[in-house]
Amino acid sequence: MREVTFLEAIRLARGEEMERDPNVFLIGEDIGRMGGAFGVTEGFYEHFGPDRVVDSPISETAIIAVCVGAAAAGKRGVAEMQFMDFISYGFDQVVNVAGTYLYRSGGKTPIPIVVRGPSGGYIGGSLYHSQQFEAWFFHTPGLKVVQPAFPDDAYGLMKAAIRDNNPVVFYEHKHLYRRIKGPIPEAHEDYIVKLGSARVRRYGEDITVVTYGAMVHFVLEAAQHLEKEGISLEVIDLRTIKPLDMKTILQSVRKTSKVLIVYEAPKTGGVGAEISARITEQAFEWLDAPIMRVAAKDAFVPFAEPLEKFVLPSVDDIVFAARELVAY
Amino acid sequence: MSTTRTRRKNGQQRVAFHERLEKSDLIEIYRRLWFARLFDEALYDAKKKGRLRRGNVYGSRGQEAIMVGTTYPLRPDDFVSPIHRDMPVFVFRGMTVEQVMCQVWGKAEAPTRGKDSWSHMGDMNLGIVHSTSMLGSTIAVACGVLWAQRLDGRRDRVLVAYTGEGATATGPFHEGLNFAAVHKLPLIVVVENNQYAYSTPVELEVPTKTVAERALGYGIPGYSIDGNDFNAVYDTMCEALDHARAGNGPVIIECVTYRLQGHADHDETRARKYRPVEEIELWEKRDPLVRYRQYLLSTGQFTEAELPEPPLDIKEQIERAIVYAISSPDPEPHTALEDIYDESAGVSL
Ligand SMILES: Cc1ncc(C[n+]2csc(CCOP(=O)(O)OP(=O)(O)O)c2C)c(N)n1
Repeated sequence: MREVTFLEAIRLARGEEMERDPNVFLIGEDIGRMGGAFGVTEGFYEHFGPDRVVDSPISETAIIAVCVGAAAAGKRGVAEMQFMDFISYGFDQVVNVAGTYLYRSGGKTPIPIVVRGPSGGYIGGSLYHSQQFEAWFFHTPGLKVVQPAFPDDAYGLMKAAIRDNNPVVFYEHKHLYRRIKGPIPEAHEDYIVKLGSARVRRYGEDITVVTYGAMVHFVLEAAQHLEKEGISLEVIDLRTIKPLDMKTILQSVRKTSKVLIVYEAPKTGGVGAEISARITEQAFEWLDAPIMRVAAKDAFVPFAEPLEKFVLPSVDDIVFAARELVAY
Repeated sequence: MSTTRTRRKNGQQRVAFHERLEKSDLIEIYRRLWFARLFDEALYDAKKKGRLRRGNVYGSRGQEAIMVGTTYPLRPDDFVSPIHRDMPVFVFRGMTVEQVMCQVWGKAEAPTRGKDSWSHMGDMNLGIVHSTSMLGSTIAVACGVLWAQRLDGRRDRVLVAYTGEGATATGPFHEGLNFAAVHKLPLIVVVENNQYAYSTPVELEVPTKTVAERALGYGIPGYSIDGNDFNAVYDTMCEALDHARAGNGPVIIECVTYRLQGHADHDETRARKYRPVEEIELWEKRDPLVRYRQYLLSTGQFTEAELPEPPLDIKEQIERAIVYAISSPDPEPHTALEDIYDESAGVSL
């Protein structure tokens, strides 16, 4: 086991995959000599050279499209968005080009690409350096969407995402990069976390909390508070948002009969709506209360501290919602 | 540095517009150059000392001649769209220093009411078009602003859109300029070529020798000039304005300069690793303020004492605005949910 930061786990996973498979290459802005804005690619340029660690001009469309074209021709490109917000310039490539490729090639041309980058708020990054628009891609067929919360998952999921034969949009919450540390397996163990598998991060009796990304840490903190009040949360870290691991979710719902879904994105039309709908479709008779959601308010992520705090979900919001749900 | 033009009309000499400026203009220009310098220094200092605790400070040290030279010849009804290294332009075009500082500190009185940060602001009454973080995107938005002028029969209002050389690699930069050229819109794109886009050197952003050569693809004039020479910037801008106002379409002016600081305040140490320190030192010597002062003295119209370094009253003005911003109220939390929709049309339930 190696004790590393969330950031380092992602760095190591990519490096090890590049050692294992010469088809893997990286492309992004400032990832070469500088090693990336956050340093997720530090040291790679020197080790793997400029053909496998590509410094791109400021052209998100091209960055993703190069991965798509190279994938059609047998390579595995990992694209970095300097901030996940900028994926909107490459949106068409992800949604209309990568997402549809296999389908329109009669199943003959898979597109194994990973589009990754830092996402999320709580850093005063304001409108274009804070967003969590995973719902855009969650809505699109042909894509997989991943967002880990712990170093071991980030490590194992990144490896799986690179090996997967489909386009994967990989969200890395920037608030976790250097704050969260944990053990990851050694390189020779060839550890991966299967896409589409959730993980119960805490077992409990009263409420099933389904969450992902930075919110996992908020929920775990809330669970500690609530434990003192005699409220016990079962915390499911989705890890992969698409495909959803309904088996793990439903198993827990049958145990607790109450569900809280927590996500950082704007509430309306978010991932929580789909999870809620599926639970009512598949386990309605097991529910003792309406399914509740804690999410961001339906606004952009504003700059000023009091505004950002107001818009984004907090540990308190989770605590209040859980109390309400228990009292229902 | 040589002044080149990709398309020059029968080798005509550039008119020395700057020689027509009055003494009062020269003093005002000198003071504006210093305003830009002192503004930058004050914010770096505020960030370092913890008076400013949120957001990044994007420096413009060394790029002052571009901001002053491209705005000074504008008419009050022209438009500008400044980006992250053009903060002083907001003031040159009519915002108060207090407003700009409130924006930096995320205060309720800021043009964005604390919603967005730094240069992502505007004021259509002042002809300042709002930009976003999405580099290059305002080049295309500019076309719409100019189209509206056409619809209003105001074809002579010019829009000056700023961009770094790195952002010229984006799709919207190309789509916007192509549109403007096809429809002969009076758009002047000022490329502040400070030779680095974050850590990426210009050769990895732009394949041609000059960024101005991109103009060839649009069939429009492209200038590549010394961005640290106020008079060169001013003269070129005057010529471009004549061209655009006369209905001849867009112009690219590449102002070659250098980013003396890191990409933002958090990048100072790293920025001295991903590029040669000698290069930074070389460009420190090409200070546009020093050069302009030398020029003013050479005209024989000024004594040393008339050109203080720095003009202290400007420093005080900036400090007063900072104190104002710090003590002005934060936005009320609930205002975060305002300004998402405008329902004043009364057609929505
Ligand atoms: C579409 C997009 N991609 C990436 C970024 C991140 N980013 C912000 S500034 C910058 C470098 C810009 O370089 P340049 O256009 O040359 O302007 P400079 O900062 O040098 O003045 C980058 C990559 C962004 N803001 N927008």
